[in-house]
Amino acid sequence: MKYFLSLCTTGLIMGVIYALMALGLTLIFSILRVINFAHGEFYMLGGYAAYYILGTFTGLHPLLAVPVAGLIAALIGLAFELVFLRPIHQDRIERPDEYAVLVTFGLSFFVMNLALAVFGPYPHRPPSFFEGAVNLGIVRVSADRLTASALSLILLGLLLLVINKTWVGKALRAVSQDKDAAAVVGINQLSMNTTAFALGAGLAGVAGALLAPSFSVTPDVGAVPSTRSYVIIVLGGMGSIPGSILGGVLIGLVESLGAGYFPDPSRALNYKTVFGLVIFALVLLFRPTGLFGREES
Amino acid sequence: MTVNIPSTTEPRPRSGKSAKRRFWFRTDLVVALVALVITLLVPLFVQTYWLHVLIVAYFYAILASSWSLLAGYGGQFSFGHMAFMAIGGYTSGLLGRFVNLPPLPGILLGTLAAGLAGWAIGALCLRFKASYLALFTIAFSEILRTLIRGETQITRGDHGLHVAPLFGEGVISRIPYYYTMLAVLVACLLFMYWLANSRVGMFLRAVREDEEAAAARGVNIVHYKVLAFVITSMIAGLAGGFFAHYITILTPNIMIIPQMGLVIAMAIIGGVESLISAAFGGMIIQIGLEVLREFGAWRMVIFGGLLVITLRFARNGLLAPLFQRLFGLGPRAELREEATTDGA
Repeated sequence: MKYFLSLCTTGLIMGVIYALMALGLTLIFSILRVINFAHGEFYMLGGYAAYYILGTFTGLHPLLAVPVAGLIAALIGLAFELVFLRPIHQDRIERPDEYAVLVTFGLSFFVMNLALAVFGPYPHRPPSFFEGAVNLGIVRVSADRLTASALSLILLGLLLLVINKTWVGKALRAVSQDKDAAAVVGINQLSMNTTAFALGAGLAGVAGALLAPSFSVTPDVGAVPSTRSYVIIVLGGMGSIPGSILGGVLIGLVESLGAGYFPDPSRALNYKTVFGLVIFALVLLFRPTGLFGREES
Repeated sequence: MTVNIPSTTEPRPRSGKSAKRRFWFRTDLVVALVALVITLLVPLFVQTYWLHVLIVAYFYAILASSWSLLAGYGGQFSFGHMAFMAIGGYTSGLLGRFVNLPPLPGILLGTLAAGLAGWAIGALCLRFKASYLALFTIAFSEILRTLIRGETQITRGDHGLHVAPLFGEGVISRIPYYYTMLAVLVACLLFMYWLANSRVGMFLRAVREDEEAAAARGVNIVHYKVLAFVITSMIAGLAGGFFAHYITILTPNIMIIPQMGLVIAMAIIGGVESLISAAFGGMIIQIGLEVLREFGAWRMVIFGGLLVITLRFARNGLLAPLFQRLFGLGPRAELREEATTDGA
């Protein structure tokens, strides 16, 4: 029982961070109707940003690099949206659905190779937020991961507040529910698109910066978290904000419990991601709309 | 370099203009024959190193053109093409390692295994919008790679799985391998060209243009999408099998996402709506990677940038419009007819 509870705790701690990253993907999808196949690369850029900020300003507390890294990722996302995605919504692109899949994948390919050329293949690790580990009674967790998780939780709360209570949040929800009706009441869809994409990219960047001290950064570091985010948004229901949060936590639990009870501990870590694929397949088989999904038009 | 086949994405005109069409068909045939003769004679003039580059280039040409069959004709995006290739290669390699199966039956079983995996994934995902296939295949590809990397007892992981050479250990010359890969490429292109212009190809294009209209006309859209996915996955598996028995060592790195990105860049830069342009895209970029060797990692940055720019500003690719001008080949029939008036 104690083992089970300790696995649940570590699962929840990671799940909150997964949820943060998946929420970025969901925001982008619900507003732009585009799956951002470069989401992992914004995560990676956030990690490198944190590393180089802390390398340049050595006196800075590592936590202060996180918002700046998020901002940098958001700015890159903003520029990409303006140049490559805005034309979709101005009807300047043939076959917009196909274009959206390919151009975000193309961005991922370009950015990953750019990172390889500029930063090299070797892992970079920014300094820890706090050294050591914290004893939670049933399990010891590294202070870095606990910090990352706590900050993710706060950020998730803030985002929910913004989405539910502010004008921008209402406007975003309006666009996600009905583009035309939103336009009628004077919401500029194009600027909402840009806002959502920049916000989503920024969230991936923050997640990358938060986990960089724990897992280091390499050019391909985004592959696993982005794959996981795809599973989460399908599980939660494409475009559903509560779905991506619950999905993130569930995947965190499944990975932790699955790896913890795997018969062969030496191979357990490899199978961690396999559980995600199994869940993906099960959702498609039995509940294609996901936990909170609505029927796609 | 290989056969030049007019790959129309639009149905051929049924009547009229037959004289013009016959004329262009002959031009295509001449170009195709010249290209075939050149590729057949290449081994007489180039060194072993460049023969190797060309073998790899043909391998990528098969992958890029089969990816473009699914994407450019069917409008479906698989990010798992390299995973199916790896299934072909690893199946044959593992059967050779554990039950001493010779290469050719191994390649056959590898191709079937890739088709089986393609069928399972296609049946699961193709009932939904195209983005689900893209999402599932990218996840499948990454997770299969993690598994192959992790199961070192079976696959030897990053140390590499040794695979028997196709023509036995005694053959050092690359010439047999060159002709084999060329033959596989030509056979795959001819088969895909036939398929694209058959009923299946027509249905696929109809589904891509307007899924609901096609369904209303009685096309069982899921069935044809799955069929196309299985076939392209099998072609990837076949290419993987032959490639594995040529390079004789397999590591999970052949299926990393940047490799998939490279194949997509080849198909898109070549011209995704034309099989032959995508094949040439594969060859030219692979040769380009060798020529630009001194640029190191920046080569992939160049091709990545070119991919994004091509997508945004030249949806027909960069090679397809060029071929259209030069030989009257390519996707747009009406442009070809315009060309005839120039006496080209």
